[in-house]
Amino acid sequence: MKTLSSLKVLVVEDEALVSMLVEDMLTDLGCAIVGPAAEIEEALRLAGSADIDAALLDVNLGGRPIFPVADALKARGVPFAFASGYGEAGLSDEHRGAAVLQKPFREADLRRVLEGLVGETA
Amino acid sequence: MAGVLADSEARDSDAPDAGLSPAALERALAEEIRRSDTLARVTEAVASSTDIDTCVQVVIDGAREISGAAFGAFFYNQLEPDGESYALYRLSGAAPEAFADFPRVRKTALFAPTFENTGVVRSDDITQDPRYGLNAPREGMPEGHLPVRSYLALPVATRRGEVLGGLFFGHPLPGRFTARDETLLVGLGGQVAATIESIRLTAGAMAELTERRRAEERLKFALDAGGMGSWDLDVATHAYEASDLCKRNYGRAPEEPFTFADLIATLHPDDRPRVLAAIDSAIRDGADYDVEYRVVLPSGELRWLHARGRAAQTADDGGARRLAGVSLDITDRKRADERQKLLVNELNHRVKNSLATVQSIAAQTLRSSASPEFFREAFETRLIALSQTHDLLTRESWAGASLREVFDVELRAMAGEDRVTFAYEADVRLNPKAAVALGMGIHELATNAVKYGALSVPGGGVDVTWTVEEDILRMVWAERGGPPVTPPARRGFGARLLERGLAAELSGGVELNYDAEGLVCQMALPLRALEP
Repeated sequence: MKTLSSLKVLVVEDEALVSMLVEDMLTDLGCAIVGPAAEIEEALRLAGSADIDAALLDVNLGGRPIFPVADALKARGVPFAFASGYGEAGLSDEHRGAAVLQKPFREADLRRVLEGLVGETA
Repeated sequence: MAGVLADSEARDSDAPDAGLSPAALERALAEEIRRSDTLARVTEAVASSTDIDTCVQVVIDGAREISGAAFGAFFYNQLEPDGESYALYRLSGAAPEAFADFPRVRKTALFAPTFENTGVVRSDDITQDPRYGLNAPREGMPEGHLPVRSYLALPVATRRGEVLGGLFFGHPLPGRFTARDETLLVGLGGQVAATIESIRLTAGAMAELTERRRAEERLKFALDAGGMGSWDLDVATHAYEASDLCKRNYGRAPEEPFTFADLIATLHPDDRPRVLAAIDSAIRDGADYDVEYRVVLPSGELRWLHARGRAAQTADDGGARRLAGVSLDITDRKRADERQKLLVNELNHRVKNSLATVQSIAAQTLRSSASPEFFREAFETRLIALSQTHDLLTRESWAGASLREVFDVELRAMAGEDRVTFAYEADVRLNPKAAVALGMGIHELATNAVKYGALSVPGGGVDVTWTVEEDILRMVWAERGGPPVTPPARRGFGARLLERGLAAELSGGVELNYDAEGLVCQMALPLRALEP
């Protein structure tokens, strides 16, 4: 089984409480948190230049879709998963099929998805 | 035409050339020519008459002219309400008043042959006829009747034998009607029957046409009122007929041509195969054609249509000859459906996000709780704080709320609520997300103040002030008069939410200062993250 220890995960989430929950879960899993970013501009900046191994992206960032950030990560070859209250239905066509965490999710769900992401690039 | 009493000399014989003088022969010939002319004129007039009144009048006037009858009448073969007398229809040679005062014609022995179409009755003197005067109570002509001796009655019947009525002619002198008169008048009677029948048929056809036109108008009205266009497709030729409204559904003016090929081209490319398959199925299997699809109008506008139809007229191979139906613009309904779907999706998203928020509150309250009792108390008050902000937003249809309103709902019913003072120039509008986040932060500040801070002692209070400068909201929560403050050994949920969570979510800065005289929380938040 892949280890998530010291995996650097970019968190993009615009709701403070949800963001805190995800940070706690990631910390419990032994990951290092990059961000969290609550705005598209900050998220794009981190996605384009920060030292990251994976990313967890809230689909809707204050009414703005996250997809440009996903595209930037894709271009860099950084694996990512979406977290959304909409589930897979909230994804744009070109991102359909990407890993999705339906909110609310358990720590075990997050671990499974992250392991899947890391496995992809291994 | 006034009553013309014909020259009686010509009436003495049926054969004008039987041993007469040349002068008499000449007169007879002239008379015969005159009668032929009259007959031709009357025949022409009868044939060209378009209503029964005119036709009958022309005939009885003409027949009198030809036969020299003093009176002529047409009785309609239609019983009066009394059930036994016939209705006088037209009269010639006497004023209608002459008939007004005495009883109507009944189907007596004398009149029966006429109304039963069994033959012509011609009598030189009707008063001598064996059938005359048999009927009680009158036994003859009623008193005041037109003086009739010469009598000629003939049925007017269609070729199928339907008796339309009878023509009656009379003269006060006996022996006036010849066999020749009878022949001519029987011929005229035949023409009258044919003309009446034709007028009736025409009237029937006209009535049917009028009724069909009315039905068509009703249908058109219903279609128009329902916004429905109607159409008709010839399966073999693909000839397509569309009503004005149908054309309008496809973005065409009534005078513009609109072919089946135009229709196909107007269909949205993604919907085209589905529509064509539905048309095929309706033609081949007789399935109901019932399909909703998008069209791209020549203007580029996208509309939704609903078309329904059915195959009509089966062809020899069992398929349909025509496909006909209606089409309706359902764009408004479709947009409402889409809005509805969007709203339901959005609601689901919000509920799921709220559940994640509650999950977070539970997880973090649990982390910082010493005992289950403490957890329950803290978790419930946080849940209710969140719920109160939701209530506030729901009252404003989730359009937003003001900063002061958020303070008010979060402080409501808290101990020392009245010891919180406010100083600001203008209230600040908050979007729902900022209202929820600030509501939670304010709840944490207030709870802490009531438990450990300035609101935990009678003399303490909180001063809330804010200003807006250069699109940044600067807010200060300053506690005073409380117990001496010492920074906590471990940052709890409230401090983390304010300093990390809120600051990140609202793209600003939040600072907690544990001043000796009281806790001070300073926020600097950009309006762009707050405003609706």
